[in-house]
Amino acid sequence: MLDILKIKSNFPIFFNNKKLVYLDSAATSHKPQVVIDRISQFYSSENANVHRGIYDLSERASEAYDAARKKVAMFINAKNSREIIFTKGTTESLNLVAYSYASNVLKKNDEILVSDFEHHSNFLPWQDVCKKTGAILRVLESDKFGRITKNEWQKKLSTKTKIVSIAHASNVFGTISNIKKIAETVHQFGAVLVVDGAQAIPHLKVDVQDLNCDFYAFSGHKMLAPMGIGVLYAKDKLLDLMQPYQLGGGMIESVSMKETLFAQYPEKFEAGTPNVEGAIALDKAIDYLLDIGMDEIREHEIELSKYLLDGLNKISRIKIFGEIGAEGRTGLVSFYVEGVHSHDISDYLSKSGLALRSGFHCAMPLHQSHRCGATLRASYYLYNQKEDLDFLLINLKKAINYYG
Amino acid sequence: MDDLYRSELMEVYKDPTYKGNLTYPSIVLDKTNTFCGDHVHLSLLIEKGVIKDAKFDGEMCFVSIIGADFLLEEIIGKNIEDAKKIDQEKVLKLINLNLTTSRIACATLTLKALQEALDKYEK
Repeated sequence: MLDILKIKSNFPIFFNNKKLVYLDSAATSHKPQVVIDRISQFYSSENANVHRGIYDLSERASEAYDAARKKVAMFINAKNSREIIFTKGTTESLNLVAYSYASNVLKKNDEILVSDFEHHSNFLPWQDVCKKTGAILRVLESDKFGRITKNEWQKKLSTKTKIVSIAHASNVFGTISNIKKIAETVHQFGAVLVVDGAQAIPHLKVDVQDLNCDFYAFSGHKMLAPMGIGVLYAKDKLLDLMQPYQLGGGMIESVSMKETLFAQYPEKFEAGTPNVEGAIALDKAIDYLLDIGMDEIREHEIELSKYLLDGLNKISRIKIFGEIGAEGRTGLVSFYVEGVHSHDISDYLSKSGLALRSGFHCAMPLHQSHRCGATLRASYYLYNQKEDLDFLLINLKKAINYYG
Repeated sequence: MDDLYRSELMEVYKDPTYKGNLTYPSIVLDKTNTFCGDHVHLSLLIEKGVIKDAKFDGEMCFVSIIGADFLLEEIIGKNIEDAKKIDQEKVLKLINLNLTTSRIACATLTLKALQEALDKYEK
């Protein structure tokens, strides 16, 4: 059992906003003091550019940056830290796969397969790559549980499929996909599997070798690290096939007036001064998470999900979006109130101090395919308590009464 | 908390005066709020350059319903030229709600529909 009050006291946002009931961790998580302090410490006593100077301060900054890469590799069990590319977030990671890998290998009429519950960041780059290469984007339709049925896979996956890109966990349903099984199937058809891990990595133990995915993309800011740092994991044999799509300093072996020789990966894909503070703060965030324990966090979230699903089910006009139990979802539930607009409910809740998201959660195609308007999404993390959910449930009932 | 909105607005929300469809409209226009997917269907009856009647319908939140009902109240009886002069500022003043930036788009959804409808009508 986690001591939530103790954990909460590590997050200064709650001290500085006493009335805040934060249920929007799927959008971004709060940061513990140790992560905030790590950034401050870097700029106060360690600041220098990395891999540039041979003076002491620069060497130390470079070492801290490299150590962060190793920490991430350890966290997701990558074979080698060179398979970790730092980006500014999941969006950039997925764009990197689209432009540095897909654009180079795809031919006309090859197929890319995504699901209908993808975040826009896992749709738009593929739409664009298809326009540029003549490849075809096909969409797997989810059922009411937010799952892709076997039949749907059989219908859409073929030897024409070259890339499958799918969320490890949906940011709307919360449904966790069985990536290991999907990887097996996808590889049988000779395609590569890209995983959008943004909603999974804060909540689940991720082992990229066990999952056997080819790419895994995620952001730091949803897992207690700052905004502006993210990761793309890529299997080394695929990194060999990728061409950088951003060029500049820090990613070259040698440059002459006529020709440039790129550095090896991962530097090859990190042109320009990287987000060093972000990387080392991510390192700290990982320490913090491991210290508490990913299994313990998961257990706590399942308990919260059960409690919330139970409470929501007791309110008659509430409809839960994605009929899946607590074990099958990450720490979030999306729902709507029949007859009342989600933005109106959200307005009411916000006046009571509740922070939760309403809208399409950057997944408009999903709301279209499930014929649903804007939804409300309550998402929680290691610093949330049952009391937060009670407060939500009480105010939801009040809001429903208010709008009549 | 029960004073989130003024009580007279709550009455408008529950039973808007101008909600519905005109049987013989001069022009109809559909407009979607891209932020949330809300959607208004506006119908106008125009005779000799004057807006004789107007109705709205659609999938709308509280703020967009209030924005629509107050706007239609304002334009009925006005000629096209005067109706076209109504801008965002005017609508926000009419409804007198303390709105965050993201919800101004809700309040002005029907205004945008009206502006497009009048332009289309004149073409």
